[in-house]
Amino acid sequence: MDKDGVFNLGRVRLSGNQSIVRGALEAGVRVTTAYPGAPISDLQGSFEQLAGNLPRTNPFTLKVGEALDQVGYQLSAHWGTTTNEDNAMGLALGAVICKGDFKKREFLSEDEWNLVYGDTVFAEDLEKRIPVGSRVMCSFKHLGGNTAADALRVAVNVLPYTGSLGIASGDDRQGTSSQTMQDNKVLYAFHFRIPTLELHSPSTSHITVKNCYSLFEELGVPFVVVMNYDLSYREVSSDLRMEVDLGANMRRKAFTKDPKHLVTIGPHIRPREKKVLSSLIPLFKKKIKENFEFLGNKVIIYGSEPRAILLLNGPFQEDFQLVKHDQALRDRLVSKFDEVLVVESPLVFPQPDALYEELVSKYPIKQIFVFEEGYGKVIYLQLLDLVNRKGLDVKVFDCSIPYEPRIYERFSYIDHILAP
Amino acid sequence: MAAMRNTAQDEITYMRPVSNCAGCGDTKVSWSVYEGMKRFNREHELKGRKRYQVVYVADRGCGNLQGYHAYHIVDAIFCMGTGAIVGEGIKESCSEKQIVVTASGDGGYNFNLSGSKFAAKNKKWGAINIIYNNYNIRMTGGQIPLETDFDKEGAAMGFEVIHINPYRVADNAELFKGLVDRYLKKDKVMVVADGVCVLDMRREAASVGLKLGLFSKSEECLDLKFAQERQRVARDEPEKLKELPRFKCRLCGIGLRCQALLNNDPGLCFGCGACAQFPCPVGALSFEGRSYAISTDITELIKT
Repeated sequence: MDKDGVFNLGRVRLSGNQSIVRGALEAGVRVTTAYPGAPISDLQGSFEQLAGNLPRTNPFTLKVGEALDQVGYQLSAHWGTTTNEDNAMGLALGAVICKGDFKKREFLSEDEWNLVYGDTVFAEDLEKRIPVGSRVMCSFKHLGGNTAADALRVAVNVLPYTGSLGIASGDDRQGTSSQTMQDNKVLYAFHFRIPTLELHSPSTSHITVKNCYSLFEELGVPFVVVMNYDLSYREVSSDLRMEVDLGANMRRKAFTKDPKHLVTIGPHIRPREKKVLSSLIPLFKKKIKENFEFLGNKVIIYGSEPRAILLLNGPFQEDFQLVKHDQALRDRLVSKFDEVLVVESPLVFPQPDALYEELVSKYPIKQIFVFEEGYGKVIYLQLLDLVNRKGLDVKVFDCSIPYEPRIYERFSYIDHILAP
Repeated sequence: MAAMRNTAQDEITYMRPVSNCAGCGDTKVSWSVYEGMKRFNREHELKGRKRYQVVYVADRGCGNLQGYHAYHIVDAIFCMGTGAIVGEGIKESCSEKQIVVTASGDGGYNFNLSGSKFAAKNKKWGAINIIYNNYNIRMTGGQIPLETDFDKEGAAMGFEVIHINPYRVADNAELFKGLVDRYLKKDKVMVVADGVCVLDMRREAASVGLKLGLFSKSEECLDLKFAQERQRVARDEPEKLKELPRFKCRLCGIGLRCQALLNNDPGLCFGCGACAQFPCPVGALSFEGRSYAISTDITELIKT
């Protein structure tokens, strides 16, 4: 450990849930709220242990807890006490709207800053810094999204004050432990229209979460990370080298009065809704394109003249890693698609239109195959819309699976991609 | 951090008019909260950055929406039922010098009882949760809300329940001054404002022949002086009319959120009597006769 918040804690087995916790801690998250429910309970359970509300019972919380205690990390955790997901979200909203400190701009130009912060009480800040406060994480299971929807919808009405809020959704797309199956990407992407990512591996989720806090905090918008049932629980062995942003964790606390943003009445929210649609979502797309790899996305070309794009999201992205190490699978890839451009992307919404336009104009692309899990077809519909809107001479194919296959169905994502 | 000037422009559009009656019990509490805070700072000789500040977090509802629309007293309103829980969240991230007061109608309270319960059980902070008891106030449309036993429910959740007559504004300011101290000691207090529906009460009073009092303003009133000066300038120096400062005192009308006082029109007065305790800076405001500040019970009022 050193004073800058860099810890080398050895090798530890981490589940997907714990990987998100790791990412949030590295981002300096100070307030965590949740309502428990499979498959995401032990995400907040870890925070509860780290905050001292529950005994530390596993190597992850024991090691990380000791390290954080030594540097005086500030962590507040509220779990079942919130009584339901709506209250968990309300509590998170209250904690995130307090902007008592500033940070320097990293991602926004001055003009972009004006667009995001130009009508807030911070508008006259000469250095055009980013108003910041506690970074907050709120988590619940997929059905919790329905319960929290009332409060969560308001989070969009009070942009940019809800930047610094990360939401983790544990999806149960197979009805394993819930009364129904649900693809929450529809909820967060199409209904709330906030940046949504589907995580795909306990080995990398923490990086995506940490970087989401950096980028979306500055953009003044909450973000959502979604995991499927398998990823929530599956463990991998990881080197626990953490780089904790202690500066973000120990920011100055204060509520800054800006009722024109924080009192949600018609005359305040109507112009903001227009702004979200006409200006902010295009800005989010632009910044996502500029920081595509930063958010864990990759563009890999197999061959020199790819005629198709494979867009791989979530579990498809993870299983595709096998192709890189297995010549037989690679042969099957070439056999099926010939030369191909692969976009490995946790990003669900909003899709960076300009990136796909660039790829289509740069290469002789005629087909885009979208592999995603869930009945919402959220990525497919966005790309279909893009192709229609821009008149691109490309066909988009929906290769999704509508639910998360149970383990005993012996479903192979890579076989689904490479099926003849 | 000091708030900078808000450059946001109001949308030029239809504003939903939230027009509480002069005398509505929902409108009298906010002045007492802010006045209580001032008195607390004064009593402890706290100045500048050492002063405490109210963060007024409200639920949706006519009392609070009017409080924002016309009087700008509210700092945050989100969705129905979230006042108490959002207030708890703000406590996590606000300054130690900021006192979070939440205000809900009983609709918001019933909508999300567990939010109030969280506030009562959360050992990290104190709580001042104000509830407008709208069972006595016929809200928009005159619907009869769910009857609530605040004494039992509040106590069961962990609050000390204090009922107030919202029209006794100076007494209530003293109460809130004391509650700030208790908030800092992490006490949990639910303040139930038992206002009345002045429309119903006026009918009821008339039916038993009870005459309620009226406010009056002496010539010392700064608003009246301003109006006289305006008339003089209009008559004698009309070219200077535009240069006339826009200053008006209006402290009583704004503080008590009362149209009758704002317009200096006794015809709009329902005789609630809140102004009887209002500390007019020039002593120009008075109230004569019976009022709800004495009692909100007609039977009791007749005896006075």
